[in-house]
Amino acid sequence: MTNNRKHFIDELNSLYGKVHNMGLEVLEGYYKILKACEQKSNEIAEDIIDNDKMINDIEISINVDAYLLIAKQCPVAGDLRRIITAVKVATDLERIGDYAVNMAKYLIHTKNENQDHLDAIIALSKHLVKMMEGIMEAFIKEDIKLALEVNEMDEVLDEEYKTRVKKLIKVGKEKTDAEAEEAMRAILVVKQIERAGDHITNIAENIVYLVNGKRVELN
Amino acid sequence: MDKQVFNIKNLDLYYGKFQALKNINLTIEKNKVTALIGPSGCGKSTFIRVLNRMNDLIEECRIVGDVHFHQDDIYHEKFDVIDLRTRVGMVFQKPNPFPMSIYDNVAYGPRCQGIKDKAELDEIVDKALKSAALYEEVNERMKESAMDLSGGQQQRLCIARAIAMNPEVILMDEPTSALDPIATLKIEELINDLKEQYTIVIVTHSMQQAARISDTTAFFLMGELIETDNTDKIFTQPKMKETEDYITGRFG
Repeated sequence: MTNNRKHFIDELNSLYGKVHNMGLEVLEGYYKILKACEQKSNEIAEDIIDNDKMINDIEISINVDAYLLIAKQCPVAGDLRRIITAVKVATDLERIGDYAVNMAKYLIHTKNENQDHLDAIIALSKHLVKMMEGIMEAFIKEDIKLALEVNEMDEVLDEEYKTRVKKLIKVGKEKTDAEAEEAMRAILVVKQIERAGDHITNIAENIVYLVNGKRVELN
Repeated sequence: MDKQVFNIKNLDLYYGKFQALKNINLTIEKNKVTALIGPSGCGKSTFIRVLNRMNDLIEECRIVGDVHFHQDDIYHEKFDVIDLRTRVGMVFQKPNPFPMSIYDNVAYGPRCQGIKDKAELDEIVDKALKSAALYEEVNERMKESAMDLSGGQQQRLCIARAIAMNPEVILMDEPTSALDPIATLKIEELINDLKEQYTIVIVTHSMQQAARISDTTAFFLMGELIETDNTDKIFTQPKMKETEDYITGRFG
């Protein structure tokens, strides 16, 4: 059978290409968070903040393309799910990107002095990077199994987050004002990572919806 | 060559005392698909027929205003209508192949222009059928009657017949209204490919078709051109309330 909607399919593929690119840009932000922590580099942290506008612009462009495809091509069934999913995934990616920006601002603000806090951020960020890599692969391959595996990784992230927060609260209670304030700020940062993980589970839910049309509530 | 293929200024058209088109101003751009939409009787078919002077055949049809094809006023008394219709081809609502073979249908125009060389004709026919995305389906049966083809194939044959004249512009008056949805999508894909080489003006009853395939959309209502704009704009943010009412199905 010949393909009667080649142009439409090309446009759909181009929409998905943009979502994929956006995901890679967001992921790059987290690679930079790790680098900025390890090298204690404000320059790298500033890079993350500078790159955020570009990520936001990709999201706008995905939205515009999706609206036009819906208005002009009257998509139905899998095609419609595909377009809706692209928009929703882009929204989550944009938010995940914002969390990286918040973390970068923290790193600049605290001058990266407390190694314990940095270690906590590095440990959680490494876990998040694995989740991001996994979810982007699941999205591109439309792989439900992988999406659900990534979802399970979020439970590990949540546990790790709780443990780290308990430790930080302890520091806040026991140490001087300055150190307590630092611990409070570190809590705010690890919270960003935990929230980013939740948005990754949203993407996992959307991959399930894309592939089989079923709405599931994960985590 | 200039980007504007047709430039229409202050066009009024009357059938006897009835004014079918009122003060139309529109430009048709090169290598673009321009869709004309609007409810029945709005003047869109009348308008497309202005562009290759098909209304000349209608008695009592009177035209006031300027219709320029590139630099030429096509309603000037010395203007060569035969030449115009060679350069501005047309495909109609109902497929209308000639009762002859597939090959002869496509070769008809070039033969009328005096091309007799078999090899040259073969080349023109093959090229036109390929451009019309029909070649693969008919290359083994060129001598068979065109009337044996399916409706969708017949319509693509008519497009090939128009292309064989090497026109600049192809006018299409509801070219898919007699076809099933799959044959319709085939023609729509074809239109998307053809615009690289040709300028296309299409009248369509289907707003979705206009949205899918055109670059520019012109909305006609009761003989007036209400709005013309980039198709993306018309289908997401039309300026005029009448356009919004029509494309959202609230009209009438």
